[in-house]
Amino acid sequence: MTTSFEDRSADFSSEEEIQLVSHDEIPLQSGMGTGTKADGVRPSSYWDNLLVSVGQDRDREAFAELFGYFAPRIKSFLLKLGTDMSLAEEIAQEAMIIVWRRAETYNPQQSGAGTWIFTVARNKRIDRLRRENRPMPDFTDPAFNQDSPETGEIVVLRQQEETKIRHALKNLSEEQAKMIFSAYYEEKSHREISEESGVPLGTVKSRIRLALNRLRAHLDDGEGKLRS
Amino acid sequence: MNEQLSLHKQLLDALLLDYATGALSHPLELLVETHLAMNAESAKTMQLLMRVGGVLLEDAEPVSLSENALSEVMAQIDAEDKNQNVVSFNSNDAQASEGYRPLSNYLPQKDCTKSWKRVGLGVFEHVIDFGEQSGKASIYRIAPGRSVPSHSHEGAEITLVLEGGFTDEFGSYAPGDIAIQESGSEHQPVADNDGECIVFAVNEGSVRLTGPIGRVISMLVN
Repeated sequence: MTTSFEDRSADFSSEEEIQLVSHDEIPLQSGMGTGTKADGVRPSSYWDNLLVSVGQDRDREAFAELFGYFAPRIKSFLLKLGTDMSLAEEIAQEAMIIVWRRAETYNPQQSGAGTWIFTVARNKRIDRLRRENRPMPDFTDPAFNQDSPETGEIVVLRQQEETKIRHALKNLSEEQAKMIFSAYYEEKSHREISEESGVPLGTVKSRIRLALNRLRAHLDDGEGKLRS
Repeated sequence: MNEQLSLHKQLLDALLLDYATGALSHPLELLVETHLAMNAESAKTMQLLMRVGGVLLEDAEPVSLSENALSEVMAQIDAEDKNQNVVSFNSNDAQASEGYRPLSNYLPQKDCTKSWKRVGLGVFEHVIDFGEQSGKASIYRIAPGRSVPSHSHEGAEITLVLEGGFTDEFGSYAPGDIAIQESGSEHQPVADNDGECIVFAVNEGSVRLTGPIGRVISMLVN
């Protein structure tokens, strides 16, 4: 009984180490990178603009380009979550159809294309698991839209914030990163993370809290408090 | 007191993270969505968590789809465009954000006596059936100053205040607040005196018992 549990936790940590290594190796400034990752990398704003074109002009070429970038990444994400190959492909396609249908509700002031498409894919996946339709993530909801100034600069600010989030993710402690990556990439609840890694539930929660505080700090005061 | 507060914030962050990654049961997901519509700070955290998801998605290693994946999707889009208005997606958006909107579809009329079961002095319960083994989800109406009998929980119980407020051994809760009872802890919530208190409570029960001992228990129970 206990052995099988320990086996699983051992698997868990070795997988994590592999992920952590690759996550640390990604250079912070893509200009300094070795190229494999930097090739074809476009700024997030590029995808935002494509998604706006799809929404405003029903631009099929823009959509095809979004599909080419995001569908394989949605599929990759779903595979990590343990979805089987053909279902992962189907959900990726269905999510992109929702992207087409709903693109006119996309507002680049409120979220980046990556974030918006992430929420669409997240919801699509849950729908498929539960066979039901759920409302779209409603970024126009006032609750999602507190104290936002009415200027065009907001898009730029929002994009800068995403860069900060990316940076902050790379600067999480190993323990904190483990919590965040297990949650997103393996769809583990915090309870499951605790059970499978052998880390006590209270410790898991406090690490999650610390990790999120770290991310929040990056958003609140900009460059100021970066620590590595 | 401070320690209690920081523990509560840890629990809340963990719950919000579980929501963002899609790891919650259906009733808990509904509870969190309702909470998000009522609490700006948590909505802000959720926005952050969705952005983290977006960044991770953008940075994910792509896995190719089959060759005709795009043409299949384009064909469906073309078909929809011909039929126009097939998709009435604005139905949700049209509803104004009034209070606990995500939950409102599940709320019975207050005067519908069939839907509410009296479970104590001044306490009524409406059980919501989510058709899956995801613990127990109920809406409670508690008359002013009344209390739910002291009880302990086998699984964690998560309670969202919809209207009014209540106080228990751990603190006081206002509309939009979430109270989290860990498994095994005991509490006795008392509704505030100034009005009826309505809460949505989800008891995780024996759900997600994935550990070796939990699995044995689940087998015995099911």
